[in-house]
This record gives sequence, structure tokens and C-alpha cells, in this order.
Amino acid sequence: MKVPMHHRLGVLALASCLTLTGCMSSSSGSDDEDGEGPINIGISLPLTGDFSEPGKGVQRGYEAWADYVNENGGLLGRQVELTILDDQSNADRVASDYEKLINQDGVDLVFGPFSTRLVVPAAQVAQDYGFLFVEPAGAAEEVFTQGFDNLFYAAPAVADDHYNYLADAIEALPEAERPKTAAYAAMDDPFAMGTAYGLKTRLEAMGVKTVADEVYPPNTTDFGSIAAKIADSEADVLVGGTQYQDAVNMIVALRQLGYQPKMAAFSTAPTNPEFPDAIGDETEGILSPTGYTPDADYPTNAEFVEFYTEANGTPPAEDEANAWTTGQVVAAAVEAVGCADPDPECQQQPVDWLRENEVETVVGPLSWDAEGRPEGAHLIQQYVDGEIRIVLPEEAAEAELILEKPAW
Amino acid sequence: MSLFFQSLVLGVLLGGLYALLAAGLTLYFGVMRVVMIAHSAFLILAAYLAWWFTSETGLDPLLSLVVTVPLFFVTGVLMQRLLISRLRPATLTMMSVLLTFSVALVIEGMLGFVFSGTQRRIRLPYSGDSLELFGANVAVVKLIAFGLAAVSLGALFLLLKKTQFGQALRATIQHPDAARLIGINTDRIAGYGFGLGLATAAIGGTALALDSTIYPSLHWHWIGPLMAIIVVGGLGSIPGAAIAAMLLGLGQSMLQIPLDTTWAQTIFYLALFATLMVRPQGFFGGRLAQRF
Repeated sequence: MKVPMHHRLGVLALASCLTLTGCMSSSSGSDDEDGEGPINIGISLPLTGDFSEPGKGVQRGYEAWADYVNENGGLLGRQVELTILDDQSNADRVASDYEKLINQDGVDLVFGPFSTRLVVPAAQVAQDYGFLFVEPAGAAEEVFTQGFDNLFYAAPAVADDHYNYLADAIEALPEAERPKTAAYAAMDDPFAMGTAYGLKTRLEAMGVKTVADEVYPPNTTDFGSIAAKIADSEADVLVGGTQYQDAVNMIVALRQLGYQPKMAAFSTAPTNPEFPDAIGDETEGILSPTGYTPDADYPTNAEFVEFYTEANGTPPAEDEANAWTTGQVVAAAVEAVGCADPDPECQQQPVDWLRENEVETVVGPLSWDAEGRPEGAHLIQQYVDGEIRIVLPEEAAEAELILEKPAW
Repeated sequence: MSLFFQSLVLGVLLGGLYALLAAGLTLYFGVMRVVMIAHSAFLILAAYLAWWFTSETGLDPLLSLVVTVPLFFVTGVLMQRLLISRLRPATLTMMSVLLTFSVALVIEGMLGFVFSGTQRRIRLPYSGDSLELFGANVAVVKLIAFGLAAVSLGALFLLLKKTQFGQALRATIQHPDAARLIGINTDRIAGYGFGLGLATAAIGGTALALDSTIYPSLHWHWIGPLMAIIVVGGLGSIPGAAIAAMLLGLGQSMLQIPLDTTWAQTIFYLALFATLMVRPQGFFGGRLAQRF
């Protein structure tokens, strides 16, 4: 078959356009001035593109929350309707989505999108219209330094504070038992680096010497050389600011070099269900901070896990929980002040209320500083007897912290 | 000093793996002037097949080679005969970039569809084991990958140098028109050459899967360094690619000691840049690039 070249190129271009744009769907919400009909909540999420996996998780969380509220009498006695747009993980798109939701669709409230890159432009739009802006993801410091006075992050802690309970536990040890040296390896990513360097600041303040400090780009596949430098440093503590594959590859590379730290902590990866499959029996003693676990016994969490599991067949993960938490925070503020409409005066009331009050959520009680940083810390989990359990803080612990990590 | 020696050992092992992964890429270009963007996607496909084989049967992933090597060879022959050979010779090199780019996207999409985007790793009882060599640790999995590279590159070299098929293939590489004049069926030889290239991808992908976490889009991280290796080595030259791979692998590993990972990785692109500036036909043996 002979097809002229320009036809082939045309088809290719067309195909790429289709791939790039995906498809967008939206439903327009009903305007309601007298406060009798449903409360319409506008949301833009990355349902396609780079962040589509976590974006869909957040969507599931929001939808589960709305169903739950509607089954239990609604918000201020009114039903809740969600209008969810797809921003394709695109920062320009997310801003115009929120413009549209507020201006054209006339939503009564907005919820935040997923991740720092999209939260910042979205929060700017909400700020311009005087809307309350509670967001489920966006833990990096830059979210809180833009001068937003309407933003609240609905999770226990910003990235730098994830390891605070672990740092406290190390600080509580008698000086002689504390580790002497530490090695850090972090992916070049604001979130991953934030977690590792938050702990680094604390450990250095206690006098723990930094003997290795490696930053690697996200596309790193070979960890042999990084592992060689860490092994050579013979650090007592290893802290990984990691996502997933980098942590797994690094751990295997370190084992191959015979490096045995007394304590090893990695962000994100150990809480992934694939992690024990990939590492095998050598997970024992590995630490990880987590913002959410279905096992946590905070009030409302058991109900959330049961409701969500029944609707979706699997227990909720962190993204779903943070979305639900966003709903809980907004609902608590709206119920307390008794109004939910787009009028800036009405939007300012829950903002003021959240500044002053603490909200009980599925990730624990939350309160915020003036820039919207949550003032808590993440739970610390550890592999104990082959299973990941909460070990810190002590009042939430399911198992005792193993201070001397077994060999891996 | 021990860090120096350890990094040297790691660099040699890494270089061997790079050589195996790049071998097919230089072969396609040599035989057919095809820039095969999908080579690394086939590597990841083979890695996934090895992972799937092991998780289904519990057997060692190396046994999957019995199936994947012939399968990839046949796929390569078919791909050359049905797709590549239909491109116009005048624009073959350019258009092969587009064609194989789309093949790479198809493979990535299929892997995501079938195995999901979840990152996988073969769980081996010996994944963390290592042998000690003068104070340096040599990981068993890396040693196996290096062995696979040595054996397959050796076999490829013998095949090209000692057999009649190899002579015909080299004749096709050196001068396709003259090869046709002396009665070589260059179309068929080109098909087999392509199949051979993909067969190395089956071995390379399995070697890769022994010691890395895989996910569908991983191939984009590999194609850049591999392209740099074959250009530095001289397009079309397998020994050239092997030497360049070894030097760049060693360089990357040794540069990691004084610099950080980001800078150590740039050695590939610096070498590519320097090669194109100083000696565009490559440093080792290749004469082909002069014509393009």
C-alpha cells in the first residue's frame, strides 16, 4: 500500500493531538441563590497526564465523601453535588478550570486539586475570588510562601515535618545510645528532598554527623555508585528521600555491597504494597513516615474505612484519605459558620473559623498556622515481624519501635 | 581507596551491561541505516516477560530466554519485512525514527494496559548476594548480567566474523549495492540482521530485569544513553559500541566519587557532543556515519 508522505505525517499529527488532549467532560452545576437546593462543589483534578494515578485516587475520595454526606443528611441540611473537571495535569488548565467553576458554573464551594504544581495556580484563582481553599495534596514549602490567606492543607504535616516523631524519639535516647553518623540520599524533588532534609536538620542539631549526602535526578536507574558512597561512609543511620523505584533499587544495591545501617528510613516506598514483594524478607526494621493508615484509631476513621471499602472493594490509601479529609475540614467549617455560598463575605467566615479551631479528621486532629501549614507530624511506621506497623508516636503505636535494625 | 576500587568494579559491570543493551541498536543502523527508537522499549518488554515468567512459574528468569530469544528474533524479522522495508530508501533514516517511535509508544501502552503502571521487580533469592574480590563486593546479579553480555557479544562477534551469514551481513553493512551484485539477498539478510538485533534485546532486557525495578515508561530513560554510546562507538560497529559502553560506564561510575549523580550522568551527553564536534563518524571503527 502506498500512502503519500504528507498523509502519513498528517495522520501521525492527528493521532498525537488526540493522545495529548484526551477527552474532557464537564457537567454544569445549578445556580442556587436562596440556599435551598444542593450545595455545588467545584473541583479540578488531574484525571489524565502525569498525575492521573493519584488524581483518580483523590477523585474516589471526594466522591465517597459526597455520597457519605448525602446519605447522612447532607451539609447544612442540603445535598452535596460535585462538579469535577479534568485539568490534564496542566498548570494553565487548572487555573482556567477554577475560573470557569467559580464564574460560569457558580459553585458554592471549591476543593483543591492534586500536587504542588497544580495547587499553586488553583489557589491563586480561589484567592482572587475570596474563596475558601482547602487542598488534599501540596506539601512542599512553596505552597505556603505565596501569601495565600485562604489556603489550608488537609493532611497531618508538611514534607519537612514528616519525620518529627522519629527525630523526637532519637532525641529522647540517652546521648551514648544515639547514632553518631548519618547518610542522606534524596531524589531531586521538592517533596522527597523535603522529607529527608527535614530529618537532617533535626539530626544535625542533635550532633549527628552527616557523612554522606547524595541528590540524584528522578530518572536515575543505576544506584550502584550512590550505594558505594553510602557504604563507604559506614553511616549509622540511612535516610532516603525517595518515591518508589529509587528506594527499592537503592536498598538492593546497598545489600549487594554488604552495608548494614543501624537505622534505615525511606519516604513513600515502604508503605507501597509492592514493596515487600520487591524486597522480600529483608524489610524488617525499615522505617517510613505515613500520613494515613486505615488502622489508625482516630474517631471517624473506622467509619470512613468501612464506607469506602464497601463502595470500592479496597481499603482507602493516602490520596483517598486526604480527599476525604478535605471534605471533613470544609464541612466542619461550613457547619460551624452556617453558610455556604459564593459570596466573599460568606467564604471568609469558614476561613476565619479554621484559623481558630481544630478539626477532627480521619488523619487525626488538624490545626493550621497563618500560612495554612498543618501543625502535626506523620505517623512513623516500621516493618515489625514482616508487617508494616505504626511504631511512633507511642500513643498510636501498634508495635514497639525496633531501634537496632536487623541485618538486611 | 576501597571506594575507588569498588567504583571501578561497579563501572566495569555497568559498562558490560551497557554494551549488551547497545549492541542491537548499532546493528540495526549498520545493516539498514535504521534509527531504532523502540530498542529500549523491546528491552523493557523482555524484562516484563522475564518478570511475568518468574512470577507465574517461580522458575529462574534466565530460563525465559529459551522463549524470548527466538520470539524476539522472529518479531524482528517480521518487523523489518512488514514495516521497515516499506519505508522509502531516500528518507529511511528519518522516517525510521518516526516509525520506531510509534512502535515504542505502542509497546509502552500495551505494557501499561496488560501489567498496569505498577513498578515491578523480580524477587530473586540471590538478589542481595555478592562475592568478595580484593575487598570489593561483586553482586551476583550484576556478574550474571555481565556474563550474559560477554557471552552474547562474543557469540555475535564470532557469528559475524566466522560464518557465511556473517560475511553476507558484513557485506550488506559495508556496501549494499555491491553485496547485491555478488548475489547476496540483501533483503533477507537485512531481515535476519534486524531479528538478531532484537534477539540481543531479549537477552539485554532479561539481564536488566535481574537487577532493576521496571515500569512501562522506563525505556525513555535508557534510549538517550544508548544512542550516545553507539554514536561515540561509531554507528554500525559492534566492537566500537562495546568499547564506548565500557568507557562511558566506567566514566559514569568513577565520576560519581567526586561529583554527584546528576553530573556523573552528563558524561554521556558530553561524550556525544564531543564526538559530533571532533569525530562525527565515531571513535572506534565506524565509517558509516560519514555518509549521513
